[in-house]
Formats: sequence, structure tokens, C-alpha cells
Amino acid sequence: MMDLSPETRKKITQLTAKYPQKQAALLPVLHLIQNEMGYIPQEAEIWVAELLGLQPVRVKEVITFYTMFLEKPIGRYHLQVCTNLSCTLAGAEHILNYLIKKLGIKPGETTADGRFTLTTVECLGACEQAPCMMINFDYYGNLTPEKIDEILDGLE
Amino acid sequence: MVKITIDGRQVEVKEGMTILQAAESIGIEIPHLCFHPAFPPEGSCRLCLVEIEGRPKLELACSTIVQEGMTISTQSETVRQARRSVLEFLLAEHPLDCPICDKAGNCQLQDYYQEYGLFDSQFKENKERKSKKVALGKNLILDRERCILCTRCVRFLKEITRTGELGVFQRGLRSEIDYFPGQPVDNNYSGNLAELCPVGAITDKDFRFQTRSWFLQSGPSICPHCSRACSIYIDYHVGFPRVELDKYVYRIRARENPEINDYWICDFGRYNYAYLEKKRATKVLVRENGQAQEGDWDSQIERLVKKIKEFYLKKKTNRIGLVLHSALTNEELYLAKKIFQEDLPEVNIFLIDPPEGEGDNWLLTPSRTPNLKGLELIGLQPQKFPPEKPLTELEILIIFAYLPHGEDQYNQLRSLLEKSHFSVLFTAHQTALMNQVDVVFPTTLLAEKEGSVVNVEEKLQKFPAALTPPGTARSEREILLTLGRGLGINFSFYRQLKTPAAVFDQLSQDISYFRGSK
Amino acid sequence: MADKEKYLTKLFGLKNLHKIEVYLQNGGYEAAKKAIKTKKPQDILNEVKAANLRGRGGAGFPAGVKWGFVPQGVEKPKYLCVNADEGEPGTFKDKYIMSHNPHLLLEGIIITSYCVGIHQAFIYIRGEYEMIARRLEKAIEEATAKGFLGKNIFGSNFDLEVIVHRGAGAYICGEETALLESLEGKRGHPRLKPPFPASIGLFGCPTVINNVETIANIPFIMARGAEWFTQIGLPKDGGTRIFGVSGAVKKPGIYELPLGTSLRELIYNYAGGLPEGKKLKAVIPGGMSAPVLKADEIDIPLDFESLMKAGSMLGSGAVIVIDHETSMLDVLRVVSKFYAHESCGQCTPCRVGVAWINKIVQRIAAGGGQPGDLETITRLASAIKGKTLCPLGDAAAMPILAIVEKFKDELLDQIGSLKDN
Repeated sequence: MMDLSPETRKKITQLTAKYPQKQAALLPVLHLIQNEMGYIPQEAEIWVAELLGLQPVRVKEVITFYTMFLEKPIGRYHLQVCTNLSCTLAGAEHILNYLIKKLGIKPGETTADGRFTLTTVECLGACEQAPCMMINFDYYGNLTPEKIDEILDGLE
Repeated sequence: MVKITIDGRQVEVKEGMTILQAAESIGIEIPHLCFHPAFPPEGSCRLCLVEIEGRPKLELACSTIVQEGMTISTQSETVRQARRSVLEFLLAEHPLDCPICDKAGNCQLQDYYQEYGLFDSQFKENKERKSKKVALGKNLILDRERCILCTRCVRFLKEITRTGELGVFQRGLRSEIDYFPGQPVDNNYSGNLAELCPVGAITDKDFRFQTRSWFLQSGPSICPHCSRACSIYIDYHVGFPRVELDKYVYRIRARENPEINDYWICDFGRYNYAYLEKKRATKVLVRENGQAQEGDWDSQIERLVKKIKEFYLKKKTNRIGLVLHSALTNEELYLAKKIFQEDLPEVNIFLIDPPEGEGDNWLLTPSRTPNLKGLELIGLQPQKFPPEKPLTELEILIIFAYLPHGEDQYNQLRSLLEKSHFSVLFTAHQTALMNQVDVVFPTTLLAEKEGSVVNVEEKLQKFPAALTPPGTARSEREILLTLGRGLGINFSFYRQLKTPAAVFDQLSQDISYFRGSK
Repeated sequence: MADKEKYLTKLFGLKNLHKIEVYLQNGGYEAAKKAIKTKKPQDILNEVKAANLRGRGGAGFPAGVKWGFVPQGVEKPKYLCVNADEGEPGTFKDKYIMSHNPHLLLEGIIITSYCVGIHQAFIYIRGEYEMIARRLEKAIEEATAKGFLGKNIFGSNFDLEVIVHRGAGAYICGEETALLESLEGKRGHPRLKPPFPASIGLFGCPTVINNVETIANIPFIMARGAEWFTQIGLPKDGGTRIFGVSGAVKKPGIYELPLGTSLRELIYNYAGGLPEGKKLKAVIPGGMSAPVLKADEIDIPLDFESLMKAGSMLGSGAVIVIDHETSMLDVLRVVSKFYAHESCGQCTPCRVGVAWINKIVQRIAAGGGQPGDLETITRLASAIKGKTLCPLGDAAAMPILAIVEKFKDELLDQIGSLKDN
């Protein structure tokens, strides 16, 4: 059985009631599960499928389509560095290289202590603060190596 | 009706038709891969783009509905160039392993390339590497490199079987067909996916690497394995001049029939075809003093006719037993009725069919023979078997046996055989019964006959012989005609029924159901 | 001079504008109240049509005309989907509207829904904007508590529910039919058109889909009238646009300006021009899909028609400024990587063609350029353009074609020098 907190379960129940068709609640429910578990394990796919009256394959189709859904656990802090145009114009490559060097991992990898996962992403919609990145759901803009040091030091 | 112009030809077509259908109706083929008439248009392969006068962009033939006055070009240079581009894209990431692909020779992508492509590849990059041997279920193998993502397989399982096992995972160039771990395609219609796949991405484990499609010919027939009697093709090898093959039939495919099975057949019907060649009876065998010897058709039939005549003249036809099955054609059952129910009164007619199996609420019926309905309509009135009151003795027992599903159902005949003075067996297969009868005659299977059957929904189908019978095997129709003529009770009637068509004509004069059907 | 014409962003400087009290103190929800209490839906539709409000998401389709396509008198429910997917690279304007003034969007949603006869509206917001989604949800709670949303709003017999729905990382879901699929809990595969969403949209029902900024304009049209609106912008293209400027400028950010403002003015007067020592090389005027303009092409009014004539487009109003030190090969590399990453994979030309171009570009960038590569890119992009199932194919092909055409010599030089190294 799925190991979800009562709050998340309650939110899921409220959510599914809002939509005219059950399947429409799929993305929001997956977000809730990932928020709590950090990723979406296979047993959760089966659980969600049953909840929404779908086949598990439909859930997996969706999870593998959207880049934000994770099928495997990642580090506590997900550093998502934008490498799209405005950020590239503002030196995203240097920012990325700085993080690669500082953390000792390549994009797609997680530090040995499980603290950081580094990925590159497409435009985050914060081009006015380029170069930018997201750490989990927080935006950080106008990045410089010094600012990155400061931000990472400030994390638990 | 709507007036349109296609490639300079003015035509009137039905309202609501798509351009693809309209073109097809006047013999113009527009290439397409993702479109299949069983599903709503998908519009994803982009191969069927055509030019419509006054429209800025090329439009899809598969989904655009014809409108009054539309002028369509399916062969303009713009259209041909668009087709070449789509083919170039499809082939760019395609492994081009046609020499080892089962679909080669029968592949839509290959055919279209022959017609519209014929370019040198400009693709200098690394092709995506994907898994080439994914078991999709017990009958299918998926080669993801060959897959062109037309999603016919996904849509078949979603919309037709509603089992939905397959989906598209990942996205963009990395998109691939897959199933949820532990839930592969194991429904009773999985084999259709290999047929539906326009390229060699989904292949049939049973057919994989067995032969090349260009050695095969397709004989239209009907599936004998249940009362749906689906229309099928039997794909058989044409053989080599100096090499004897140990196998000729390589696969069964669905034959389109909107009345009965659309484009599909079930796996039970598809994969049960070994019986066509395995353990076939090929010779007339005569048992004398416990020894079986080869006999000849004419003299042994003559012997049977004489015996029957003897008891006919003695008015002891109630001492004759006949065992039938419902995998015979209407023509055969009709002749059996004429001889054994009308010419010869009081013959004990029994029906022994394979035991019922499970149906699947779609095509597969519980009954495992194709012509139970035909037998009813023709008016044969067999007794139950075993008979309610035990028969004391039979002078003659004539058995027409049907054995593709095993011979358990004939076990109860053994006691009857012991009480029969003279017994003959008409069988297409070698069976244990052969040792207990006086004469064995090799007969043919439905695939080797011309004739007709009536399916569970009372739909009549006629079919030609798809295969050549083995050895000296003769069809039950020929055998029954010989008996009919030989008995001489109604000689002129049987003499005129030289062809299956003639029997059918006679049948339709006699029985109203068959009247008016061509 | 433009400040007095600003209306969408005028209040953005106010502290706590996102709270309903502050919004109400500044005249908030008056337009919605007026609409519901005093106007018939048909009056509102006529007003929006007369205002010539063109969609702010990219395609520029007139909003009033779109609403007019929705069949009335059908039994099925009708839906509104607000497109807040904002994924077009360079675009961040909707984020400002939703985070600074969520109630403005809600007010626009109320009027739109009342006009079309909609009782359930969805705000489809890109998954990364989680914080903004929460702010919107808070605003919905506040508005519901005041009786502006929910049952019998403003004491009328009109009901409206608004649901914030987060995407999960897929650019294609900004395309309206992919958005619908995504909202229904499926992969974001665009649908074949026709049928159009106005007749068969969300859950198979008539659906209006508008961009956030488009909807945010509605309360102002309601309050001040179509005539005022068309006077601000252009007669055929009413109102202001919120331009987002990024890249090589001193003051990147959003600028609300009347349609028709010149691109040069935006870059040099508003965004402060390029940083010291940098010279202008090129501008992408309407989000990444818009074909690039060279430095000598920027004396052009920012409106749909003018940019279309110049071979580009106004798109989402996202202006990306490229300086002389930036290599156009780098720009091409980022553009082709983006579209290859975001292709949904459904149709052949986009799935294979865009990825093929990207493979060539990445090879060139890695020093493996070969003679004929640029010609191949042009040929492939032309084969994609106009032949895909949804607009993503064009969105990828057009900027790639423009970069290769306008900067061919530079690209050839770079191919050569990369090979030499």
C-alpha cells in the first residue's frame, strides 16, 4: 500500500473531486506524490492508476513525457540550470561549468552525499534575471560564481 | 454527392468522404502509414499530404473531408517532394536492416521508397540506438529501431480490443512503444499487431526468420476453428524446384471482411495451423485379418456402395450409422442430407464435434467448428451421441471425422465400432480410430475445398480452395457425390451436380435461406 | 510618455497588490461587477470584438472572434482554459501579471466566462511556476470568500469555479490542443484540427483558450470601452503589449507599450540599450520561434502586421537582444537543441527532422562541420515547414532558416575555424 501522509491523501481526494473527468487529475496528483516522496516510484504509478480508473501504462506514458516527473530518486536539492538562449547570452555555460567543478558531478548526476542533483533545463521563464537556475521550486537569477557559493552555503 | 476534381479527373463522390477515400474510390492510391481504415485519422506520419487548390499549405488526405468544387492534386511536384521528404525522415533513423527483416517484400515503407524515394541518404549523423528485441507478449517481438511511431498498435489495443496494453513512452526522437512492466500484450488478438504494423517493427515470433515473404502465396479461405468462421488468408510457400520442404504453410492472416471480422482474427485461429500439414492421412487403407494395406479409392468406394445398397434393398437402412461433424461445407452437408436422410430412410445420423471451449465475447465462439449454423439451416437432424437408447448392432458405420482439436470426442465411438459389422472412416488426419475400422479414406480440410459455410450470425461465406490436398485425399463433396451416384436411387440428381457451384445452386433452390445469395 | 498609457502593469509597483484588499482599493473587480450586473453577454462580446483584442500568446488571433465561435444553446458544459504555460524562450510577461496582480487575471476570467456562458475555468500554468500557482490559488480563495467566485457571484445567478492546473515540463503544452490533452491527464500530443477547440475542446466540450495577458486585458476593455482600447494601440490591433526584453541590454525586464512602438525604441530607450562596449548584432523579436532580425532591421513598429511583413513575427512579445560578441553558431545550437528537446515526437517531420538538424548543428559546434551542412539544414528545415501536425514544426524551422540565411558567412567562417583547431 502506498505510504502517503494523511494530508497528501486528503489533498488528492479533494483534487479528484474537482474535475469533470477523473483522469484530468493525473498531473496534479503526480505532483503531490512527487512533492512528498521526491519521485514517483512504480508502486505509485499503479496506485494512481487505480485511483483514477486508468491502466498503469497510461500513467507511465504521462510520467515519461513530462520532464518534471522523476522515475528515480534524486538529491535533496535539484539544481536546474537554464541553458536556453537568454541565459546562454548571459553566460549560462560558465555557471554550469562552475557548478560542475564545484560539485564534482556532471549534469544528470547526484553528489555522493545525496545532497545535490545537477541538471540542465530549457527556458524557465526568468530571462530577465539570466543566467538563472531553480533549486527545487525556488528561482535564483543573475547568477555569478560568488552568488552560487552564497546560495549553496545557505542551504541546509 | 459532391463534385470534385482529383488529378484532373472530375468525379462525384459521397458526401463526408475523406480525400483519401475519394481518391481510392476512383483507383488513385495516396500513400499513408499511420492511417488505417479501422481507426479515426491520426495525421501523424504526414505521408498523405496533398495539394488543394486555393489552400496555402498541403493538407492531409486522411482527415480532410471533400467539399464541393475542391480541386485536388495527389501527384504534383510539391506533393511528390513532400512525400520524398517524409520518406527521407523516416529512413534517416531507420536501421535499413531489410535483408534480415521479416517484413521485407511486404513492407509499406519499402514500397513507398521504391515509388517516391530512391534517393541517396544524406544522413551523416549517428542513428539513435534502441532495443531491437523486446518481447511484447508471448507472440510478438518489437524492434524499436524499425518503429516509425505510427501508433497503429497502440490504437488497436486502445480502440479495438480495449485492453490498452501498449503506450508511447518518452518523447521526441526518443519516443518508443512499450508496456507497463509485467503487463505485456497477451490478449487473444495480439497477432493482429504484427499484421497491422506497416513496417517490420512488430514481428510475429511464430513467423520470425522462418521464410521470406516473396516465397509465399496467399490463398483466401475461412478459419475453421470456431463458429465465427472469420475470413482468412493462408500464406503458403510455393516451394523450390529441386528442394523438398517439410513445411508449406507459414502463417494465417486476417482477410478483410466488414460483415464478420473486419481486419482481425483471434490468436486461437491464427496460430492453430499445424494441423494443415501434420499427421495427414494420405492413402486409402484396408484392414484385412488385422493387417492394414493400401487400397484404391474406386474399388473401396464401390465396396461401400454395394454394402449400403444391400441393406437398402433389404429395407434395413436403420442398421446404418453415419457420423458427421460441422466442419463440412454447406454443399457437403446438403449432399449428406440428400443421401442419408432422404434417399436412405432411417439412417442413424450422429453429430460429433469437438467439445465446446471458452468464447471471448468477441470473435471466438464456444463452438469450435465453422458450420454448425449451416447444418441446422440445411435441415440435417442428427441424433444425440451417445444415443439415448443403446443401439444393438450396426451393419455399417460411416464416420466422417474432424480432428484438429484432438480425438477425445471419438472415444465413445469405440464401443459402437465393436458392434458394427462393417465400418469406414473418412479422415483428413491419422488417428487411433484407423485401427478399428475396415477402410480408411483420406479426406480434405476446409482449406483445400471450395464451398461455403454459414457462421454463428447466419452470415454466408463462399470460398475457393486455398491449398492442394495431400496424397490421394478427396473432398467429402466428391465422395458423397460418388456415393449418391453409385447408389443409383436418384442417379440423375447427383450426375448434374458436377461442381460446388452446381451443388450450391441446387441447395439454394431447396432452402430459402440460401436463395438470393451470390 | 508611455507611462500614462500603461494600464496592465500600472499598479505593479503597489505593495501587496496580490492581496484582494489592495486590489479592491484600486478599483478591482468593478469591471466584473459592472459586466455581470449591467451587461448582457452579447454586449460584452460585441465590445471585445470591437476592441480588436488580438491574442497575446503568439498567434495573434482576435479574442472576440474566438469567443464567437463557441456554439451557444448546446447542452454540453463549456470551458475556459487560460494558457499560462509560458514556455516560449525569452517570455516571462505572464509570470509578472500572475505574481503581481493575480486578481486582475481572475477578474478577466469572470468577465470572459460570463460572456461565453462558462462555469468552470482552468488556469493551465507551467509546472515550474509552482510559487505563482500557489499565489493564484490564494487569490481564488480570497475572491471566493468575497463572493466573486463560486455560486451566485456578485449576487447574480451566475456560478463560476476556477481551478489552477499545473503542467509538468513540456513546451508543447503551450500549443492549445496539446494543452487540452495535458489538462485531460494525457501526454501533450497536439490534436488534429478541425475540429477546433471552440466546438470540441476540453472533455469534448466547447472550449475557449486564451493567453493570460489576453484575459488580463478584458477588465480594462469592459471598464473603458473598445474605443479607448483601439486608440491606445492600432485600430486593427488594440491595446498595449507587455514586451519582455532579455539578452544583451542594460535593463532586461518587462515593458508595457502600445502596439506599434518601434523595436529600436524598445531596445534603446526603454531597455537602456546594450551594455558598454557591446554592439547590436541581431534581435529575436517575438520569442525564440520568431525569425531573427539583423541589426539594420530594427526600425520597425512592433505589431503583428509589420513584423510579418519583415518575415518575422510579434509572437509572445519576447525580445532577445544578441550582441556582436555572441557567435550565431551558438545561437543556432541553442535553438535547435531546444526544439529537438521539446518535439512531442508525434509527427514524422518534427520528430525526426528537427532532431536531424540538431544532430548536424551539434556536430558542427563540436568541430565536425562539413561542406554542404548548411545547405542540408536549409533543405531539411524547408521540408519541415508547413508540413507538421502542429505549429511546433514551423516554430523550429523558421528561426533556423533565418539564422542560416542571414548569418551564412559567419557560420561558414566558424565551421572553417572550428575545423582548423
